Amino acid sequence: MADLYKALAQIHAIRGQLARGTEFRGYGPETVAATGLLAAAAAVFQSMSLKTPGSSAVGYLAIWITTAALALLVTGFQTVTRTRRVHPGLARQMILAVGESFLPAIMAGGLVTLILLRSAPRELWMLPGLWQIFYGLGIFASCRFVPRQMLAVGAWFLATGALCLTTGTGAHALSAWEMGFPFGIGQLLIAAILKFGYTEMEDDA
Amino acid sequence: MRSRKQARQGFVYDALDSVIHERARLSVLTALVTHPKGLGFADVKAMCALTDGNLSRHLQVLKTAKLIEITKDMDNNRPYTFCRITVVGRKRYLEYLAVLEQMIKDVVAGEKAEAAGDAAQLPA
Repeated sequence: MADLYKALAQIHAIRGQLARGTEFRGYGPETVAATGLLAAAAAVFQSMSLKTPGSSAVGYLAIWITTAALALLVTGFQTVTRTRRVHPGLARQMILAVGESFLPAIMAGGLVTLILLRSAPRELWMLPGLWQIFYGLGIFASCRFVPRQMLAVGAWFLATGALCLTTGTGAHALSAWEMGFPFGIGQLLIAAILKFGYTEMEDDA
Repeated sequence: MRSRKQARQGFVYDALDSVIHERARLSVLTALVTHPKGLGFADVKAMCALTDGNLSRHLQVLKTAKLIEITKDMDNNRPYTFCRITVVGRKRYLEYLAVLEQMIKDVVAGEKAEAAGDAAQLPA
């Protein structure tokens, strides 16, 4: 029995190694583009429904956490189904490898949100900038699975995050376009890279 | 666990491709599939512990089956052979791996069932 388990472990290790050396094609460009449009729509909705977001942080958080959850749900579902189709035999390993690299940054963003809400509610204006920086770090971490141009999108989110942290205080605090513009453009950039950036043949996936 | 359909089919493992299943060729393909950019002849030879003649013969079989591609070039006035797995080769290797995994799981399940049967027959 020990030999059989060893053989299964070796098969698992080979699959893992294959997954780590394979470009990930599980993200659908159309779905990612749709999440960019969703961010823009959420920004329009916020600008119409929250006239003074700086003084109604709960409403602001409700809009953007709902938007993020919806985007994550749609992208997650689509990624799992697409990965099963384009990476047969490797889907589980590839989803795990990509998730391991991207999700820690998203979880860190969620944790910081909770901490600021509980312990420093006066500093909530920092959230849009911090979210963008964490998202950019997640993109950098998962760059080895996607086309190299994705580094530019990681840099875009770091730059917009830094800009939000520099200028997003006072009257500009929690403004709708602090989220709508960076995520709207950033997600469309990601979609374009996913659509046109792969160097290997489609069948190589 | 085996599905009902698999159980009806018994233990037929058609995808255990005889071209891939040979020990040396399986080693060569594993080396190439885990190095998708390709490997030189000397690298494959060292990784798989094969002689020149043996490796050449197996590479030829894999090439004929279109599982790998072989390119020959000159490096510092010396011939250099480069091997790379093809899209078909990678696909068939993954299919082979899935069937091999299923076969081993079937054996493990059989052993477990036998052990459970033996334990049930023991006097209390």
